[in-house]
Amino acid sequence: MIQMAGYLTLAVALVILGVAAFVYARARQSVPNGNASVYRVRKYYAAALAVALLGALAWSLPHTPYGAYSSEEPAMRVEVIGRMWFWEFKPSDGSSADSLVIPLGKAVEFEVTAADVNHGFGIYDSEGHLVGQTQAMPGYTNRLRLKFDEPGHYSVLCMEYCGMVHHMMINGFTVR
Amino acid sequence: MSTTTGALKPREVPEIDARSRRLVTIWLATMLAAFVVMVILGITMRLNQGAAIKLMPNTFYALMTMHGLGMAGGLFTAGVVLIWYLTALRFQMNHTVMWVCYVLVLIGVVGVLAATLVGHFAAGWYALYPLPFVNAAWPSWTIGTTIVSLMILGVAWLVMQMDIMRVLAAGYGLKRMFGLEYYKGEPAEPLPPAVMITAVCATAGILGTVVGAATLIIYLFKWVTPATQFDPLLLKNTMFMFGHTIVNVAMYCGLGVMYQLMPAYTKRPWKVNRLLVISWNATLVFILFAYFHHLYMDFAQPKAIQILGQIASYGSALPATAVTIFGVGSQLYRSGIKWTLTPFAFMMSVVGWGIGGAAAVIDATIAVNRVFHNTLWVPAHFHTYFLVGFVLILFGFLHHHLNSRAERLAGTGFVTMLVGGYGFVLMFYLGGLSSVPRRYADYSAIPLPSVSQPGTHYALWGALFASLFLLGALVFFLSNGIGRRSPGEAAVAGAGARG
Ligand code: HEM
Ligand SMILES: [Cu+2]
Repeated sequence: MIQMAGYLTLAVALVILGVAAFVYARARQSVPNGNASVYRVRKYYAAALAVALLGALAWSLPHTPYGAYSSEEPAMRVEVIGRMWFWEFKPSDGSSADSLVIPLGKAVEFEVTAADVNHGFGIYDSEGHLVGQTQAMPGYTNRLRLKFDEPGHYSVLCMEYCGMVHHMMINGFTVR
Repeated sequence: MSTTTGALKPREVPEIDARSRRLVTIWLATMLAAFVVMVILGITMRLNQGAAIKLMPNTFYALMTMHGLGMAGGLFTAGVVLIWYLTALRFQMNHTVMWVCYVLVLIGVVGVLAATLVGHFAAGWYALYPLPFVNAAWPSWTIGTTIVSLMILGVAWLVMQMDIMRVLAAGYGLKRMFGLEYYKGEPAEPLPPAVMITAVCATAGILGTVVGAATLIIYLFKWVTPATQFDPLLLKNTMFMFGHTIVNVAMYCGLGVMYQLMPAYTKRPWKVNRLLVISWNATLVFILFAYFHHLYMDFAQPKAIQILGQIASYGSALPATAVTIFGVGSQLYRSGIKWTLTPFAFMMSVVGWGIGGAAAVIDATIAVNRVFHNTLWVPAHFHTYFLVGFVLILFGFLHHHLNSRAERLAGTGFVTMLVGGYGFVLMFYLGGLSSVPRRYADYSAIPLPSVSQPGTHYALWGALFASLFLLGALVFFLSNGIGRRSPGEAAVAGAGARG
């Protein structure tokens, strides 16, 4: 997903730069009403963009994280509390929070909140890919449901600026 | 619908009088001086993230706060000055109002500078509630000073924009200035596009500023009465409605200048038509609702609002590109233009705006935002449409406004800026693709080498490219001092630029 976004942006950038170079060169020619073709292209462009955007909406809206795995009963719930500047975990099954273990391949729910200011609960896999996140906001509980398909160690980083030690507000858990 | 013109009559041929011209020059010179300082702060941050220098974290975050406030606030101010200029081309403006606002802006800027650089206030430029007030490492006076300074800036923005609206309403009437006549067909008297854009920008800008003012009053109340509690989600909404709106409006103000000046170089008229009116009025609505995309990761926000946010964000792409990007294309294509810096800068600004916009639309997809939110992808896209977008319009405008003729030197500086600017934003994009979180003083504590190593590496390259940008900008400024057209020459070169 991330890579796709990168390539898409690159492709758009190259197209725009290419068109700009083309227009730059052609702008020197002086042709009365020479721009009529631009308006013709615009129709196709507008139609194509509208279709692309509608397509992207249709593809992406079912993939919001809000209702993920809502039909399943989570195998585990973990209360997550962001504080200046550490992450506190409270697993619902009473297991150890210091070396939190999450079951592999099953839906789990993180119930994320904050004790003081806004934080961002971001989960990274062992290869450094961000696999999911939600904001940790005082007074609110954001429920993030995920399934982990890879065993290993996952790191939790803070994704919302929360003051001096924001960049060191780190914890983690194991999936197995 | 009446087509009568209001109490004021616009000039037959738009032209800037000498006093207004000087006023605009002084405003822009001030904003650009601030811009250079903010760029230096930016380079300093990138050097720290690149582990080339070692700042205390609170120093880093204070610089970050100053940089964000200075850039967003400074460029919005520049945007308002640009639409003031567009209005001053047509009407006699009240200069006293502008000078009072100038002093207010200076006071506000000095206040923010003192709070951040002296007092180390470091809650970030949008200072999410309740961060400024909780366990703060910064002294209490810095909180109050920042809030009051921002309120002073807000007053200046409101006054300037209301004054512009007052003049436009008197000159064109409330309906006409938004181009609403065009819904019924071609009106007897055509409306200049710059007027409609000014009206749209000032309306969105005023709404954004008012929401910001309300938010700041609540912050002030909290500062005075620490025991009160407010709702963080509500205040996050209002803060983004304010911040997101004003930074977008800044860009649209710049486009207004382009609609005004480009025809002077291409010798082709740029007219209002129904499509343009629909697009710009739709843009106004989209700007106001697109900010929801900042809150996608707040799952407590109703899902319907999140989806509305994605639709509004996507929606803004269509009119913006189909009308403005194609508009620029049809201005230029086979126009026989003699390329000089100003039209080139305008074209390149639209390129940067388009690329940054595409990156923004991708990130405004909820399914993608899951893995991009608050990574370096976010500063990547907004630096694209600011640094290699809006800022380029400002530079192109400056070149035009000062009647500069050192084309060679200006061009050299400008191309250097482009190379530096694109290199700099590319490093942010690559950081985002490596899931590097934004707003980290440094990456050394991240336990994942596949994140921290590229993060550090790209940051250093980012600092180098940004320094190149700065060098180019300085060369460009120099070019404006070296060669100026005489008023006579300028009149010939700029004939119609006034039109
Ligand atoms: C060469 C010029 C520039 C440099 C070197 C620079 C550098 C930076 C850096 C390093 C950051 C922190 C990134 C992070 O989150 O880790 C940042 C943030 C930011 N920059 Fe720039 N920047 C430049 C130009 C601009 C421009 C033109 C704008 C115009 C709006 C801008 C507005 C901002 C804002 C609003 C932030 C966010 C601050 C925050 O998170 O509180 N910058 N910039
Ligand atoms: Cu944090």
